[in-house]
Amino acid sequence: MLEALRQGDRRVAASAAIMGLGQLLHGQIAKGLLLIALQLSAVAFFVLTGGKMLLGFVTLGSVKANPAMGIEGDNSVILLIMGIFGIIVLLLYILIWRANIKDCYNTQKRVAKGAAPEKFKAELSSLLDKNFYKTALFLPILGVCVFTVLPIVFMILIAFTDYGGAVIPPELVSWTGLDSFRKILSLGQFAPTFFKILGWNFVWALLSTALNYLGGLGLALLYNKKRIRARAVWRGFPILAYAIPGFISLLAFKFMFSYGGPINQMITGAGGTAIGFLDLDAKWTARAIGLFVNAWITVPTTMLLATGILSNIDESLYEASRIDGASRWVQFKKITLPFVLFATTPVLISQFIGNFNNFGIFYFLRGGLYVDNYFLASDTDLLINWLYNLSIDNNYYAIGAAISLIIFIITSIISLAVYVLSPSYKQEETFR
Amino acid sequence: MKRTLPAAIANLLVIALVIVIFSGAFSGAAESAGEVSGRFDGVLEENTTLRILENDTAIKQGYFDALLTAFNAQYAAQGITAVDANMDSYLDLEQDGPYGYGPDVIYQANDQVMKYTDGNHILPLPVEQLDCYAQTAQTAWDAYTIGDGQYYGVPVNVQAPVLYYRKDLLPANWETDWDDDSNGTPDMLEDWGAMYRFSQQIKTESGGTKFGYMKSLYDTYFASGYLFSYGAYVFGPNNDTSDVGFAAGNAEIGAGVIRQLAGVMNEGCIDDTITVDCYSRLASGEYFATMTTPDLYTMFIRELQLVYTAEGLSEEDALAKAAENLGTATVPALPENGDLSDETSPLIPCKAMGGINGYAISSYTKAPDACLAFIDFATSFEMLLTRNEMLGIVPARSDAANSVGGLTGMVNQILGEGNLVIMPSSRALQQVWTPMETLLSDIAKDPFRPESEIKYPDLPSLKAGLEKADQQIYDAIWTLS
Amino acid sequence: MNQKLRRLGSNTATYLVLLIPSIIFLFPCLWLILASFSSSGSIYSFDGFFPTSFSLGSFKALFTDTVMYDYPEWFKNTLFIAVMSCLLSTILVILTAYVMSRFHFRSRKALMKTTLVLGMFPSFMSMVAVYLLCTQFGLINSSWGLILIYSAGAPTGYMVQKGFFDTIPSAIDEAARIDGANNFTIFRKITLPLSMPMVVYTALTSFTWPWSDFILPKLLLKEKSLYTVAVGLMSLGETEFARFAAGSVFIAVPIVILYFCLTRFLVSGLTAGAVKS
Repeated sequence: MLEALRQGDRRVAASAAIMGLGQLLHGQIAKGLLLIALQLSAVAFFVLTGGKMLLGFVTLGSVKANPAMGIEGDNSVILLIMGIFGIIVLLLYILIWRANIKDCYNTQKRVAKGAAPEKFKAELSSLLDKNFYKTALFLPILGVCVFTVLPIVFMILIAFTDYGGAVIPPELVSWTGLDSFRKILSLGQFAPTFFKILGWNFVWALLSTALNYLGGLGLALLYNKKRIRARAVWRGFPILAYAIPGFISLLAFKFMFSYGGPINQMITGAGGTAIGFLDLDAKWTARAIGLFVNAWITVPTTMLLATGILSNIDESLYEASRIDGASRWVQFKKITLPFVLFATTPVLISQFIGNFNNFGIFYFLRGGLYVDNYFLASDTDLLINWLYNLSIDNNYYAIGAAISLIIFIITSIISLAVYVLSPSYKQEETFR
Repeated sequence: MKRTLPAAIANLLVIALVIVIFSGAFSGAAESAGEVSGRFDGVLEENTTLRILENDTAIKQGYFDALLTAFNAQYAAQGITAVDANMDSYLDLEQDGPYGYGPDVIYQANDQVMKYTDGNHILPLPVEQLDCYAQTAQTAWDAYTIGDGQYYGVPVNVQAPVLYYRKDLLPANWETDWDDDSNGTPDMLEDWGAMYRFSQQIKTESGGTKFGYMKSLYDTYFASGYLFSYGAYVFGPNNDTSDVGFAAGNAEIGAGVIRQLAGVMNEGCIDDTITVDCYSRLASGEYFATMTTPDLYTMFIRELQLVYTAEGLSEEDALAKAAENLGTATVPALPENGDLSDETSPLIPCKAMGGINGYAISSYTKAPDACLAFIDFATSFEMLLTRNEMLGIVPARSDAANSVGGLTGMVNQILGEGNLVIMPSSRALQQVWTPMETLLSDIAKDPFRPESEIKYPDLPSLKAGLEKADQQIYDAIWTLS
Repeated sequence: MNQKLRRLGSNTATYLVLLIPSIIFLFPCLWLILASFSSSGSIYSFDGFFPTSFSLGSFKALFTDTVMYDYPEWFKNTLFIAVMSCLLSTILVILTAYVMSRFHFRSRKALMKTTLVLGMFPSFMSMVAVYLLCTQFGLINSSWGLILIYSAGAPTGYMVQKGFFDTIPSAIDEAARIDGANNFTIFRKITLPLSMPMVVYTALTSFTWPWSDFILPKLLLKEKSLYTVAVGLMSLGETEFARFAAGSVFIAVPIVILYFCLTRFLVSGLTAGAVKS
């Protein structure tokens, strides 16, 4: 960039002032006009709405609304989110503008070497070859920016405001810096519950991930056995579980484990006493049921995935090892497991994260309980459930955002470390 | 460098300038004072469509259709049409209204409606213009004010716990053995003690397959009445949410009553098994009585009708027989000392938690006067009578209530006597449910625990439990605010 | 003879082992299916495992009694949303994964780490933001809004597919490049056919997600006639359990059918053969 600015000729300067002008001067008509149009629409955007968006981001509104009296006023959260949107557009603009300068400078160098400026058609066709990644990633990155990154940035910023409690629109929200974090640190009741839940949360995430993974892999291997007939039918049973939406399964399990449900009925029918599986004092049974139900819901997905991946193992590896007289266990250890592990490490990580943040399972199975020695939480609650109790349920968005930011930092450091150290990140080429 | 850097800076400066100028220019223009005067000018907005949010039962039973048809016929000349908002009856106006996705008129419970006053999401109404104004009791109106002299909703019906029971399952000799005061009403409908003893008798005689009174006891809405009767309250005077009073007075005696009642039920009282189950179990005769709100009357009738048609009766005969055998009564009285097995204790009235359901107008409506006209129409004498007929609700209008009598009269009498504790119209109410449900289900479980694990053997332990729940509610409301 | 016996024994053992997961997975589903044939609306009208009486009433009500609960309409809405977002998401995810596996451009590793971290943010916290965004872009009460959000969010889950592409030998690509094919052609003509199991897996999962998601449609669809099955089923009254069960059973049917149609692609490993030819 700097080089382009330092060494650029008047055409580069023209491009820096007005996008596309330099390209036009190089005789690249189509590209030049395209960029000029972009430049014009950028200016128009900031004149019409972009400017307001960015200002709203700073002030978060100045006129309090009163819908009952017909005063429209400012909606602080809308101003905040559209402000972020405006910033994203601004960044995008600067990015394109930079690329435009660089492009013009590259053409200058090309011409200096005696070649003609690149034809528009040639550039277009490179988008399907050398630059295919740009074409392919354009839409995904745009979508992720708007619907994933933007909301996350929004929630992170919320942690630095006083949004929540009584301060929700039409009240005006304001920036408060680190106040939310100070409040969390000053509350003595939080710490013991936080560490108790954090501990269980890790145990849960590890156990459930291991259970789901081994279960899924085991089933896939089982159904892959050569001698089994009507394999599709056997494999159909887990598919049944897969086909029923998760929240319905959870509700169904809750009914099944309740006092009037079939499991307790069968126990009492056989002369036993009903067991409060999900009662107040059913700590470890409730946790175990959670693990089981979660596995019931997730194992089929893992099985499908493992089946797909197993089908990709080079058959000749097995043949070769058979000739060497390797037993089936050795084959599994030496061929299957490394291969599957390699292909699924990212899955393992994303499943671990998914389980770590598994909101639904205990919310549906055992919601609405506060247990002794826990601050507004129960002993099966995961951090995300506790977070929900504290923030969304009570409308304390700023505090909720601050706590989730802390959790987010902890979990992302751990999983990044695991990911970066994993073979599927370090040696992507192993199986090529 | 000479030419390119200034050009680059110029470009960025232009964008920055555009941003600054146009953000500044617009922020000034956005402000407009808006009319401060009331939104009601008495002139009907013609040719408008009103989106009305009603509750599910009213839609299911066809009442809402009847209401809309009648209203639309009357206001056809002005071109005002009311339609079903076609939205979830639990929708949150606070979330949807500001963006234009809410209904114009909502029908919800008073705590729900009054929560919207916080952000002025609903309009203060000129209620004295309404036909029902003078006919509706002040206690009902009180549920719709925040002490600023304004009313934000119009009461439609009173929600209070009602005892549903099977007349044909009363003991044959009830007139001699179960009517101590010989007033022609069985004792178990008048006295929790008698209900307890009768339930115990049924449970023992049937070997634990049939029950007397059955109710999910963890349900705070219904169970807190026992606590209120002995001095508990939700929030302090003027909805002071820093004063949580479930342990106040002798509330532990009430908790003891809950524990005793659990003993004559089965474990279904710990979770919501019975709540979900009571309609069909009452119909099948496994339960003698249960408690729920008046608007669910039709549900019991339907399940009873199903049982009788399965026994071979025609639809009509089954309906008639169902109506004949389903009895309703108000909540029985409690023994003063809280011991349900003690036949000699003097009785005190049992309080109950109740609510007032009503209509309110969204601040985001374009036609407030037409909305008001709709509410006036929907709360008219005739419409409330129809509503009562079709849905079994208890009208808040006294003239309508008086002409119906029966259950309605009884509920209004309780309301008048001050034995109905109206749900506080406060946002903080939603913090009450989880701590109370936890405690109540723990208490309900106690009779089913082995001797060594019993947690609430005496009154002090119950008191301690209530105090802990109070603290949790307080924490939930205040820790983060 | 002896060997035959041993094989028979081992076969029996295999089938016995097969029975265990089948029972575990079937049991709760069977209960739900039985419940949908119960004639009473109550959850607990059961004699142990079996309903006290059977009828087809709830299935009939599901499709005919549409005043309050318009199941056929919900079903249509869900089908539309799921099919469209399945198509879009599958394309986006496979493209992303392929590019991340085969192209070694500058910001690639940073991008990979970012997407990993993004998934860790508690999702319900950002739901508030998604709702606000949708009010601004007019995506409330719109099936396309849901489709857009589902497909836009899908590429963050590209890791699984990338892991798969990493196992396809790059020798195949190089052979094609010598023949003069560009990257897009290689992707279309060679990599894609080799990846059928993964494409099928992706299609299945990206169909199931909108098919069974509850939170997002609940947030964005305010009008009952636009509901998806998941939201609609949750709005059923508490005495409608049989209907709830019937609706739940019926919603599972398309996925089971989809599975049986796609299963042969799922297990068709082609790599070995492709390298040789």
